[in-house]
Amino acid sequence: MDPDKQTIIGSPERRVDAWGKVTGTAKFAADYSLPHQLYGKVLRSKHPHARIVSINTGNAAKLRGVEAVLTAGDIPGSRKFGVVVKNQEILAGEKVRYLGDGVALVAARSAEIAEEALRLIDVVYEALPVVSDPEAAMWEGAPRIHPEGNVFVHHKVRKGDIEKGFAESDFVIQRRFRTQFIEHCAIETEAVLAEPAEHGGVKIVGSIQNLFSSRRSVAAALNLDLNQVQLIQATLGGSFGGKDEVMTSMCCRAALLARATGRPVKMVNTREESMLESYKRHPYAMYYRWGAKNDGTITAMEIRCIADGGAYASMSPFVTWRSVVQATGPYACENVRTDVYAVYTNNNYTGAMRGFGSPQVNFAIESMMDELAERAGMNPLEIRIRNCFRRGSVTATGQKLDHVVSLQEVLEKAAGEIGFEEKWKRYRAATEGTHRRGVGLACSYRGVSLGAEGADAAEAAVSVQTDGSVIVSSGITDMGQGAGTQMSQIVAGVFGIPLGRVRFLNTDTSRVADSGPTVASRGTITGGAAAKNAAEVVRATLLGVAGEMSGISPRDLEMAEGYVVRTADRSRLASFAEVAAECFEKGRPMHGIGWHRSPKTTWDEATGQGDAYFTFVYGANAAEVVVDTETGKVDVEDFVSVHDVGRAINRDAVRGQMIGGVAMGLGYGLLEEFVLEEGIPAQHNFDEYLIPTSMDVPPVKTVIVENEDPAGPFGAKSVGEPANEIAAPAIVNAIFNATGKRITELPADLERVRLGHALRRPGPRGSALKETEQSLPDLSCKIRPAER
Amino acid sequence: MKPFTYIAPGSVKEAVAALHENGGTARVLAGGTDLLLEWRRPGVRMPAVVVDISRIESLRRISLEGPDILLGPLATHGELMRSGVIRSGAAILASAASTIGSPQIRNRGTIGGNIMNGAPCADTVPPLIALGATVTLSSADGTRECHLSGFFNKPYATIATGEELLTQVRFPALLPGTKASFVKLARRNALSISRLSVAAVVSVDDSGLITDARIVPGAAHSVWKRTMEAENLLIGKAPSATLFAEAGRVVSAVVIKETGRRWSTEYKEPVIAALVRRTLEKCFTDNDGHPS
Ligand SMILES: Cc1cc2nc3c(=O)[nH]c(=O)nc-3n(C[C@H](O)[C@H](O)[C@H](O)COP(=O)(O)OP(=O)(O)OC[C@H]3O[C@@H](n4cnc5c(N)ncnc54)[C@H](O)[C@@H]3O)c2cc1C
Repeated sequence: MDPDKQTIIGSPERRVDAWGKVTGTAKFAADYSLPHQLYGKVLRSKHPHARIVSINTGNAAKLRGVEAVLTAGDIPGSRKFGVVVKNQEILAGEKVRYLGDGVALVAARSAEIAEEALRLIDVVYEALPVVSDPEAAMWEGAPRIHPEGNVFVHHKVRKGDIEKGFAESDFVIQRRFRTQFIEHCAIETEAVLAEPAEHGGVKIVGSIQNLFSSRRSVAAALNLDLNQVQLIQATLGGSFGGKDEVMTSMCCRAALLARATGRPVKMVNTREESMLESYKRHPYAMYYRWGAKNDGTITAMEIRCIADGGAYASMSPFVTWRSVVQATGPYACENVRTDVYAVYTNNNYTGAMRGFGSPQVNFAIESMMDELAERAGMNPLEIRIRNCFRRGSVTATGQKLDHVVSLQEVLEKAAGEIGFEEKWKRYRAATEGTHRRGVGLACSYRGVSLGAEGADAAEAAVSVQTDGSVIVSSGITDMGQGAGTQMSQIVAGVFGIPLGRVRFLNTDTSRVADSGPTVASRGTITGGAAAKNAAEVVRATLLGVAGEMSGISPRDLEMAEGYVVRTADRSRLASFAEVAAECFEKGRPMHGIGWHRSPKTTWDEATGQGDAYFTFVYGANAAEVVVDTETGKVDVEDFVSVHDVGRAINRDAVRGQMIGGVAMGLGYGLLEEFVLEEGIPAQHNFDEYLIPTSMDVPPVKTVIVENEDPAGPFGAKSVGEPANEIAAPAIVNAIFNATGKRITELPADLERVRLGHALRRPGPRGSALKETEQSLPDLSCKIRPAER
Repeated sequence: MKPFTYIAPGSVKEAVAALHENGGTARVLAGGTDLLLEWRRPGVRMPAVVVDISRIESLRRISLEGPDILLGPLATHGELMRSGVIRSGAAILASAASTIGSPQIRNRGTIGGNIMNGAPCADTVPPLIALGATVTLSSADGTRECHLSGFFNKPYATIATGEELLTQVRFPALLPGTKASFVKLARRNALSISRLSVAAVVSVDDSGLITDARIVPGAAHSVWKRTMEAENLLIGKAPSATLFAEAGRVVSAVVIKETGRRWSTEYKEPVIAALVRRTLEKCFTDNDGHPS
C-alpha cells in the first residue's frame, strides 16, 4: 500500500523553521559572533572599467586597530573563481571590470575603523572606455572586457527549415522586447563569519546558497584540501538565486583575512554595498519574428536574444541555455531558429535569479502570443489552446513530451477562475474613461531541475534517535523557500510520524556529500527524492526489527500515525519510538543515506537538439488590472495563479511559493529596474529601487493542479521558479486589453504606460554633466538629497 | 555613521540654547526618518552634536485657537491623519499626511521634519502653502514668523539658520463651504514618494462662482509656489470640467516655463495638467471630507 495516502504528504503542515523565525531564535549569518573577531571590509572600484596602476596600502595598514590589509598579490592560491568560466577575481589584480569589483581588503577591530582604513588606501587607476550596451559590446572593435572577446556564449536551436516556414505563412509578426536588470532583494544581505580552524584550514558560517561551489573556491584560494574547509549554512534570510558567486567571493575574502590575522573575521554587507556588488537578473534584448497562418497556426519562429552578462561569466552560460530551450514557449512549431548570446559589459555581472533565463523569454513569447491572437482574430485563450503542447508533442529541441502535459488544463482553470473570456471581450470594447480595465493571460512550460547543464544528484541523511525523533540533513539547502520542510515532511511521511518529530539541519559541507547547487527548483524533486530514499533505508531496518518484535513478517507491516501497524487490520504493534529503541538495543543501523540521481538528459550544442530536461512543469497566470491612462499608473486588482506541481508535498508551502512568485513577478512587470548609466548604478537602496509592497499586491487566488510525475518523490515536481515566471506577461497582456497599447519594455512603469517608451536622460551622465543635472530642479525627487 | 554628542533637551529654551552654543555644527533630530537616511550616505558630513527634540512635549500639540489651527512641529503624520481638529478644519492636510510612507513612518515622521528637510516631494508642504500657513522659528535671540510660501530657497534649503528651531505651524482652519483636495501620484501604493502632487483650496460664493483659489503643485517646481495664473483663471467663474482642464494646462505650462523643456517634460506636461484637473474635480466631489 502506498504509505503516503494516509499520512502527511500534501498536508499544510507548519514550516519546520516557522517557530524560530517568528520568535527570533533563528540565527542568521550576521547574528554569529566570536570573541576577538575582526571586521572585514572591501575597497571597491572607483571606475566601471580601468587598469589598476598602483595600490598603496601603507597608510591604511598603519591605522590603529587595523590588523590586515590585503590585495590580490596576497592570495596564496587561485585568485580566480567561476563555476563555468573561471574569470572572476576575488580581488582585482590588474584591472577592474565593474564598479562592484573589490580591490583591497581590510580587517580591523571595528567596522568603523575598517571603513576609515579603506579611505586611506590609495589606488591609481587608468580609466578604460566603458562598455555598457550589450548590443554595442558585440560590435567588432568594441573595447574588450576580457581578452577572449565580449561574446562569450552562443546557444542555438535549429529545427526544420525556417525559410520554408516563413514561405508557408500568411503573415509575419516581428517585435523587439527588452527587459531590465533585477535585484534579488533578499531581506538579508550577504554575511559570513570565518574562523581559522583548530587543526588548520578554515570554518565559515554564512548566508550561502551553494556551499559546495563556494567551498571549492575557498580551498583553491587558500591552497587547502576540501576537507580543511568547512562551510556551514546559517539560517538564510532569502536568496532567490542571489547568494551564489557574491557569497563565494565574500567567503574567500573573509577566509583570507582570517588566515592573515589568525582571528575570526566577520563580514556583513550594508544594503548599499550589496546592491553595488551583487549580481542581477540578466536584461535581455529579444528579437522575435514569427510566421503564422490565418487560422493561428505558427509556421516559423525566428528568435534572437542578447543577454547582458555584465563583467563576469557567472551563470550566464546556463541561464541563457534555459532561455534557448524554452524560447519558443510551449507552442508547436515545425521550423525554429533560435540564437541566444551572452556578452560581457562593464555592468554588474548577471547570474542566477528565480526563473533563470525564463522570465525574459516568457515576457516576449506571451506578448507575441497575444499579438498573434490579435492578428488571427482569436482570443488569447483560444490561440494558446490551439497551439500549445499536448502529451506526445515534440518541442523545439526535438524532445517528445512523454508525461501528462497539462497546459490546456491550467489555462482553462486560470481563465475560468478570473472570468477571462467574457471580461476580455467587454474590456476590449470599452474605450471611454481615464481608468480602464483589462485582463491578461500567460502560460509556460518549464524544464525541471538542471537538465543538460550537468550532473544532477543529491544526498540526504536520515538519522533516527532512540526516542523516535529524527534528524534529516542534506546537501540541498533551505534558503527560506522551504526545502527543509519539504524534505522533513517527506521523511515524516515515510515513517508515518508527525512533522514535529523531525528536525532539519542546515547544510554543513563537512558532514554531507556535495549535492550540487540548490537551484533550478530542484530542492523538492532532487533533495526530496534523496530524503525519501534515505528514510526508506531506515524504514526497512525498523520494520525488520518490528517484525522480530512481533513475529509478523515485515511485508505485512507498515508505519502510520506514529506506530508500526499490521496492514491487514491496522492494529498497532508498537510505537515508532519503541521500535527505534529496540533497534538501538539490537545494534542495527538507524542512520540511512539516500542518494538520488535524476534521469538522463541529452544535448547537442551544434544543433540545439536533445532531451533537455527529464520532465517539465506547466502553469498559467491570469491578471486583471486597472490602468490610469492619464498617468500610466497600473493597479493589479485580481490575480489567479495555476500550477501543475506534480504533487504538493505541503499545500501551504506551494501556495506560499505561488503568491510570493506573483508578488515578485508583479515587481518585474510594473516597478523594478536596476538602472545603470555607463556602468554606474542609479540606485543604492530600497528608497530608489522599488519593489511591490503589500498594498500593491492583490489577493492571489491559487489553484494547485496535481498530475503526479513518476520522476519525483510521491509524484512531486517543482514550483519555486514557475511561480515567478509568467506574472509579468499576464499583467502586460492585461494592460494591452485595457488600452490597446503593447508594452515591449519592462517594467511597465508610469512613463512607459503613459508614453509608450521610457524617459531617458540624454547623453552619458559624465561628471561634467552631473553637476548641472543635479542642480536642475526636476530630477526625480528623492527623500534624501542627491549625492555629491 | 560617526560618533556625536547627543543632547536631549526637555524644553524649547534648552534646545535653542544647545543650538546656539554649538553654532552651525549641531543638527536637530525629530523623528529621524530623513536624518538617519541622510547619515547613511557615504562621505556625508556628520554633525558634532545632535539635539534630539523628540522629548519636548510642548512641541507636540495640535489645537484650534480662534480661527487658527496651531501645530507643534513634533505632530506626527499619523497624529495629523487621525486628529479631529485637522479632519474637520483642514482635512486636506490629514489626507496628505495619510499618503506618507507607511504606518511606521507616519508614526515617527513629523510635520516639522517634513518641512525642514525641504525635499521637493514633501507631501505636507503643498497643502500647507495652499492653506496659507506660517511657521515660527525660535532661537536664542527670539522668534520670528514667516510665510511658508517664502520659506524655501531651493530644494533641501530653507531660510532658517542652523541655530533656529521650527516651533510652530499656523494656518486658518477652512471655513465651511471651502473646498480642498490633495492628489498624489506615486509609483506604488505605499512607501512611495510623490512623483507629482497637487493641493488645491477653492472657495465658492452662494451663486456657485469661484471666489478664491489656491493651487500648489508638488514635486514639480524647485521651490513650491502657488500657480497664480491658474488661480486667476478660476476666480469669478463657475466650476466646470472645461475650466478645470484649462487650469490644468495653465499650471503645466507654468511649470514647464520655469524648468524649461527637458527629457522628462514629455511625461510631466500632460500629467500635471491631468492631476490639477482631477484635484479641482475632487474638490467638488470628495472635497477631502470637508462639509460643503
Ligand atoms: C521609508 C520612508 C518613506 C517616506 N515617505 C514619505 C512620503 O511619502 N512623503 C513625504 O513627504 N516624506 C516621506 N518620507 C520622509 C520623512 O518621513 C518625512 O519628511 C518626515 O516628515 C520627516 O520627519 P522627521 O521627524 O522624521 O524628521 P527628521 O529626520 O528628524 O528631520 C528632518 C530634517 O528636519 C530637521 N528638523 C526636524 N525638526 C526640526 C525642527 N523642529 N526645527 C528645525 N529643524 C528640524 C532635521 O534637522 C533634519 O534636517 C519618507 C521617509 C522614509 C524613511
